[in-house]
Amino acid sequence: MKNTDMKMHVRGRSLFIDDIPTPANLLHAVLFTSPVAKGTIKRLDVAAARKAKNVAAVFTHLDVPGKNQIGHIIEDQPFLAEDELMYIGQPIALVVAETRRAARAACKLIELEVEPGEPVFDPREAYRRGLIHGKKRIQVSGDTEQAFKECRHVIEGSTASGPQEHYYFETHRALALPVEDDTLKVIASSQSPGAYHHHIAEILDIPQHKIELEIRRMGGAFGGKESTAVWVVAPAFAARLLDRPVKLILDRNDDIATSGKRHAYVFDYKIGLDAEGHILAYEVDFYQQAGGCADISLPVLGRSFLHSTSAYNIPNVKITAVSCKTNVPPNNAFRGFGVPQAVFSMEAALFHAAEETGLDLEEIKFKNLLRDGDTLPYGMRLEQTDGVRCWETLDKRVDIKKKLEECEQFNREHDDRKRAAAVQPVCFGISFTQTTLNQAGCLVNIYLDGSVAVSTGAVEMGQGVYSKIALIAADALGIPNHRVRMEATNTTRVPNASPTSASTGADLNGMATQYACRELVERLKAFAITRFKHDNPRDISIQDGEVHLMSARTGYTWEELIRDAYSARVDLSCHAFYATPGVYLDPVKEKGRPYAYYAYGASLTEVEVDCLRGTYEILGIDIVHDVGKSLSPEIDRGQIEGGVIQGIGWATIEQIRYGDDGRMLTAVNSYKIPDLKFVPKRFNIHILENASNPYAVCNSKAVGEPPYIHGIGSYFAILRALRSVRKDKPAPSLPLTPEKVFMYLHG
Amino acid sequence: MKKIKLDITVNGVKHSLKVDPNLRLLDLLREELDLTGTKEGCGIGECGACTVILDGKAVNSCLILAGQCAGREIVTIEGLSDGEKLHPLQQAFLDHGAVQCGFCTPGMILSAAALLHANPAPTEDEIRVAISGNLCRCTGYTQIVEAVQAAAGKDKGDWWLQI
Ligand code: FES
Ligand code: FES
Repeated sequence: MKNTDMKMHVRGRSLFIDDIPTPANLLHAVLFTSPVAKGTIKRLDVAAARKAKNVAAVFTHLDVPGKNQIGHIIEDQPFLAEDELMYIGQPIALVVAETRRAARAACKLIELEVEPGEPVFDPREAYRRGLIHGKKRIQVSGDTEQAFKECRHVIEGSTASGPQEHYYFETHRALALPVEDDTLKVIASSQSPGAYHHHIAEILDIPQHKIELEIRRMGGAFGGKESTAVWVVAPAFAARLLDRPVKLILDRNDDIATSGKRHAYVFDYKIGLDAEGHILAYEVDFYQQAGGCADISLPVLGRSFLHSTSAYNIPNVKITAVSCKTNVPPNNAFRGFGVPQAVFSMEAALFHAAEETGLDLEEIKFKNLLRDGDTLPYGMRLEQTDGVRCWETLDKRVDIKKKLEECEQFNREHDDRKRAAAVQPVCFGISFTQTTLNQAGCLVNIYLDGSVAVSTGAVEMGQGVYSKIALIAADALGIPNHRVRMEATNTTRVPNASPTSASTGADLNGMATQYACRELVERLKAFAITRFKHDNPRDISIQDGEVHLMSARTGYTWEELIRDAYSARVDLSCHAFYATPGVYLDPVKEKGRPYAYYAYGASLTEVEVDCLRGTYEILGIDIVHDVGKSLSPEIDRGQIEGGVIQGIGWATIEQIRYGDDGRMLTAVNSYKIPDLKFVPKRFNIHILENASNPYAVCNSKAVGEPPYIHGIGSYFAILRALRSVRKDKPAPSLPLTPEKVFMYLHG
Repeated sequence: MKKIKLDITVNGVKHSLKVDPNLRLLDLLREELDLTGTKEGCGIGECGACTVILDGKAVNSCLILAGQCAGREIVTIEGLSDGEKLHPLQQAFLDHGAVQCGFCTPGMILSAAALLHANPAPTEDEIRVAISGNLCRCTGYTQIVEAVQAAAGKDKGDWWLQI
């Protein structure tokens, strides 16, 4: 089954927001933003901008009729700044004009006087000054202090991981259209229909039922369109106040400069092992570079917190995590949601430990992999683990030991080129850690001709969730796939939808869809027995668009059934709701069962470093990944590949720089994402066989985020190659760019 | 700004227009001719989302002024298929699952089409080099390379004539 949009995409016929035919009277909105990372507004004068040619309006916070607030979790993020400025790029005023060019020109006429403050960019420094979002979180399991005393080896160190730009191809944007009776239709590029809907209503101080928010598709999102609502709220606000259609499209460089990134982290770790390499104790401190407002940083940190031991069983653990209020644009969700950072820190500690102790790194990893019956630091006991099986399957396919020896042999024969490989295990918890969000609604309509329309709260951003849900619906109804169409995600059909994130889109919305379809089938069966003068509805089934009685074909088609059921006044529309059972986390004790299940994997990444130039090549990556019983192997393969490459990008070449004043120095021409020359030619993906999962729809497993973790192996493969040349310096931080490689070898 | 006269052929249709001298080809296609299949990803020649075929060669339409295209022939994604019949590359992208969000797809397909036009049987390395200027943030590119390889073997059909 194809991604439902694919056929239109290959012809250029799918309408993204900027492709929707221009409505009459359209205005364009551009944000005027803060030029300083910290300060207080002393004077803001928009009079000249308001008078400029072709300008319809210039709005400031004084024009906001409702609550001037878009904080996603904590109310610390004004829609338009009032007095305090917290980062460069923070919205101050909204200019609306007949053309984008006119709006941009008018921005230059705005007069702003600021009393500069002293910005902080280093997360440790922010923490030292008490500048944090929320509270410091500490989790203790076992007794690390005691355990370290019993360890043969105790190793301590620090490392850091950098930010990552989402680089969704379609930048932030929305089109807002006033409709009759003071209502508003907003077509947005957003992963959070429920939350954005709510924000628009609050800012405008109008009831939510006066706003229809629709999301047909996005040109990528990867988490970046989950929490910061400003680029959707702004045109909606202007359209309502001016009673004209308004579009806002962020330029690529503005998007890079002013939108959130994957959070940079700084880590301090301490790890203790016994003589055989069992990890007995692990302590880690996470300092998260959150940005000027809390945005979604605390849930991201929460996930780092819960994944601090990665794929390993460690009996004594102490984790400390703080979200540091630094003066950069508020960082937000990005595929993996804090897990990649936690995994990186764990792997860095293990790499360091193996080097110090002389123990075999792969042996340490394998020996400590999570197995059935192990308990995670938050008290969840594991069952049906597949991490070991993934590792063993990988080993069978690539012969890990042999591969590592081949690299060493190559290195003995070559001075200027060095090869190395690294194995990366994956154990990724699935569910929203915030229990409330683990809910989804669905509306299924069957029309008189037998065609079916499905609406859910899941949004399509290229991950194929619509296709998966359509498959689930067709399967549950017993009809061919082509009879099912996915409707655009729309708040008038499915209200209060959770964001499509945490890889849960298909799990939650697919399950709600299955419930709705099953309910419809029950109604149809109850009707069909009367037609067949049969008494047990259980003997009726629908398969391939035909009614079956006692498993035998009847020749009575789906279309006839629907027509007759309609005549007999059977309700052919059904709403259903799903809430993941049994997930919870006690916020005080930091214990619970936050995830419904885990997705596992193991991979081997092989690299070659050119020691003269500092460049490197990813020679190959072999992956074994667990997707349960795949809903669509083709879509899952695409998700695995895309996720891995994004992970490799983060670990290697994607680097963001801020200037001393907090200004983003990276622009689209200096930010490199993996291109076709960078991706390895040997890219083998093996989907773990005989995997199942009783905790998600049709025994499948989520696939959006977990594969990203494999990409981290590229950092450690390169690092290993570097360490074969020299070990007299500390390991560089992530990303391990060619520049850092060069400086490490020659600096 | 004084408008300039522009005669241009797009997808086999001749247009006589008056345009601003600083109008980008990308905007001409999207805004004046409503050919929104051509996408803007970066606006400065980095991503390839705006790729179209100009006199047989793949170009970034965000870097070219409409005025530079006077008297020349352009093929956009809308002109690649033969009515409802998909071009072999479009079909191959579908068959190989080479599309996720779809934003890079039109540009990617047109770069590949220009490659196959110049070199009907490219090696894998030639494919990788030819479309390495087209970025994709969703896929891992392998399904894209497979799709181009598969299409390279297909009957060329009439569509070649358009490029
Ligand atoms: S939009 Fe032209 S290359 Fe990116
Ligand atoms: S499919 Fe989304 S950018 Fe390529």
